[in-house]
Amino acid sequence: MSQTLARPVSNLIELLSRLPGIGPKTASRLTFYLLREPNGLAEALSTALAALSVGTVLCQRCFNIAEQSPCPICADLSRDQTLICVVEEPMDVLAIERTGAYRGIYHILHGALSPIDGVYPEKLRIAELMERVRVGEPREVILATNPSLEGENTAAYIYQQLQTSGVSITRLARGLPVGGDLEYTDEVTLSRALEGRRSM
Amino acid sequence: MRLNHLSLTNFRNYARLELGLSDRLTVFQGANAQGKTNLLEAIHLLATGRSPRVGAERELINWLALESSLPYARLVAEIGAAGDAPTERLEVVLELARTPAPGGGGGNGPVVRKQVRINGVPKRGLDLIGRLRVVLFLPEDVSLVAGAPTERRRYLDIALCQISASYCRALGEYNKVLSQRNALLRRLRDEGGDSGQLAFWDDQAAEHGSVLLQRRAHAVSELNRLAAERQRDLTGGAERLQLGYLPSPDPAKVIASRSATGGDRFAFETAAREQTAGWLLAHLRATRGRDVAAGSSLSGPHRDDMAFTVEGHDLRTFGSRGQQRTAALALKLAEVQMMREATGDMPLLLLDDVMSELDAIRRRTLLDALAQVDQALVTTTDWDDFTPELLAQARRWQVAQGALERVTA
Ligand SMILES: Nc1ncnc2c1ncn2[C@@H]1O[C@H](COP(=O)(O)OP(=O)(O)OP(=O)(O)O)[C@@H](O)[C@H]1O
Ligand SMILES: [Mg+2]
Ligand SMILES: [Zn+2]
Repeated sequence: MSQTLARPVSNLIELLSRLPGIGPKTASRLTFYLLREPNGLAEALSTALAALSVGTVLCQRCFNIAEQSPCPICADLSRDQTLICVVEEPMDVLAIERTGAYRGIYHILHGALSPIDGVYPEKLRIAELMERVRVGEPREVILATNPSLEGENTAAYIYQQLQTSGVSITRLARGLPVGGDLEYTDEVTLSRALEGRRSM
Repeated sequence: MRLNHLSLTNFRNYARLELGLSDRLTVFQGANAQGKTNLLEAIHLLATGRSPRVGAERELINWLALESSLPYARLVAEIGAAGDAPTERLEVVLELARTPAPGGGGGNGPVVRKQVRINGVPKRGLDLIGRLRVVLFLPEDVSLVAGAPTERRRYLDIALCQISASYCRALGEYNKVLSQRNALLRRLRDEGGDSGQLAFWDDQAAEHGSVLLQRRAHAVSELNRLAAERQRDLTGGAERLQLGYLPSPDPAKVIASRSATGGDRFAFETAAREQTAGWLLAHLRATRGRDVAAGSSLSGPHRDDMAFTVEGHDLRTFGSRGQQRTAALALKLAEVQMMREATGDMPLLLLDDVMSELDAIRRRTLLDALAQVDQALVTTTDWDDFTPELLAQARRWQVAQGALERVTA
């Protein structure tokens, strides 16, 4: 970074460019925007950033990020507490909640197993999931990790670990995208959709 | 499929090039270091997503452009079937991003981002392959025979990827699985842990690896048949060339009792893909201890090789330079034929200054091949490498310092 930039400015640019998907060019654009923006966005942001760590906790049941533990989903007794949906990230909970089709509870792993990235079982909330299953005796565990190599690996590993527990384990079906055209669907998706077919 | 137009921006020593390629045969002549190979390199990159040269991708961007604030190179190929079928536009943009890789500690300098577009729509690099099929002949092809096994695997992979999208996908997946499996093996060796974590990666390696083993076995036996014919032409029947697939794991070396075929040697050629996957999986499981002790995958198609023998003698060790060169040429000519048989379409031939290395009979064989393809781009330092008759059929260009000039006389 050039010496001519005021330190707070170059500092923020450097910090912003550490964010995923943000390069130094975007980082400097954002920084100068915040510098000139008249409506106090910078102050509001700094308050929001500070609250991010102070104002949030990990739900001690499902490990979602929440304002208190247990989180609203775990605390909601109208939800089916015997159905646990296992996902990689908190954002995945949002996606499933948006469907409005799921009334069970969750377990957030905070990642997927990936040896190259040094992510092994002990780095994820897998032991906690085993404990939940042992103590809570749910009726079903749905493995809703991503259909990526790492997500599949994570699902396979958890399946292996849970096999003897007697709980019923299911994997999210991987189907065709809605509005997708069979003809233009790639082989992998199509063959997976075929594998995941069900009787009607 | 034909290459109708090539445009280059800031690629190597071409600041700007617009080149119409409507002719069947185009010959580029130029002194050394003028940009002949660069031209064929660009076409190879558009066809396969990769440069045939080893080296950093940033070297592909024009040096002057590297000085600018947003250095990039752009390559565009317009391809189409003969006649007035709609053309397809393949585009590769190489951009120098000064950001360090995300998550990395920085310090590894600028990275080249490769963007692919097909008809203007962003695509993955993989999607490029197989649209414009090329076979490239280089003077250094001799190292296909004499060089390291990596070169032969790379060669087979590029040929097979151009023929089959599913091979290409399996290769990509296998490589990803392999690096994950190796990372896990290293950790198990260094820190111990539950080797049950390998189960998933074994399954995946067997699933995708079996595709590679089978397709390569099939391809090498095809190439063997076709290359033997070409070798006959090239040597006037004096030498019989044999190509052999050396797979890993090698069924000839794996204890037969383990295979599902009940003691017989396992044969990829006759096995169903699932059987090969099962066989490979059984091998990976049986040798898991060795892999853990080594901290890496000791067997699998990433260790494959190919053998060239003439009358039972291994050309790699016993062949003369000339014999090795001839075998490499026979292999490339066989590849042209294999591509045609597999796809029903002649590949685009790219010959980079190969004539000067060959004697009269080999030249004639190569020229025969040239006469049979739908399109060929040929470079030379010397017009005299070609007969006047051939030159009369060709569109001719002179290459000097990254610029082309039409030669008509
Ligand atoms: N990134 C780059 N920017 C500018 N010039 C480059 C770049 N990379 C290579 N060159 C130049 O390209 C030239 C080499 O081009 P090329 O390899 O196509 O030569 P050639 O015509 O095939 O020569 P030969 O007959 O020796 O094989 C050299 O002059 C080299 O300096
Ligand atoms: Mg050259
Ligand atoms: Zn919760």
